[in-house]
Amino acid sequence: MLAAGVISVLGAMVLALVRLFLGPSTYDRVLAVNMFGTKVILLIAIFGFLTGRPDFLDIALAYAMINFISTIAILKFAGYYKITEPMTRPPASSTIPARRPG
Amino acid sequence: MKHHLILLMAAKLMIPPILLFALYVQFHGDYGPGGGFQAGVIFASAFILYGLVFGLDELRRVAPLSAVTKLMAAGWGLYIGVGYAGVATGGMFLDYGRLSSDPIAGQHTGIFLVELGVGMAVASTMLAIYQCFAAHQSRELTDDEW
Repeated sequence: MLAAGVISVLGAMVLALVRLFLGPSTYDRVLAVNMFGTKVILLIAIFGFLTGRPDFLDIALAYAMINFISTIAILKFAGYYKITEPMTRPPASSTIPARRPG
Repeated sequence: MKHHLILLMAAKLMIPPILLFALYVQFHGDYGPGGGFQAGVIFASAFILYGLVFGLDELRRVAPLSAVTKLMAAGWGLYIGVGYAGVATGGMFLDYGRLSSDPIAGQHTGIFLVELGVGMAVASTMLAIYQCFAAHQSRELTDDEW
């Protein structure tokens, strides 16, 4: 049963990778990376129970937090171009044109 | 109405659990996966999230670079201090067993203090790297420079 879960999660990861490489816009790719991270968390959790080591859940939790922060960092880089600016206000340099898709 | 209100609220909700999880990894390192280095990185990642969302100036107000560098040195000093405490009591460097009359209790105390020192040093080093790295880029990149 758990092995079937591992296989289906691996299949979903392959689909996320396909979207990552094909994705027409930057945001599709960011979303694919974020989803891939979620699938990695699921895989770690299932794998932990498959091998009888629930300690793996700690690693999955840490991965979830790092995944959240890295997604915000990439989106901020794409939207603001500057890492110092607070996100409490819109980007100061709104004259920058949106990036080309792809 | 602030910009990115949902993200602000999500970050505010996420930061305390991340700090708590870092402390869990720090103090549970004897029994499960974890330890000083991992806990330090997770602890610093909470501050990095704060800096990402609220800006570098706000992060500098919460964790000024002067305090961060002092904490860096304090963590190193704690490690070296515990290490030489073993030497001072007639053992070898990092000989925790001599820190207490009971060797088992001494080893518990020693590994706790050493991991605490590692955690402090790693967390503050990560914060210092982030602050210096974030402040480094002063001009905007054009589209061709990516």
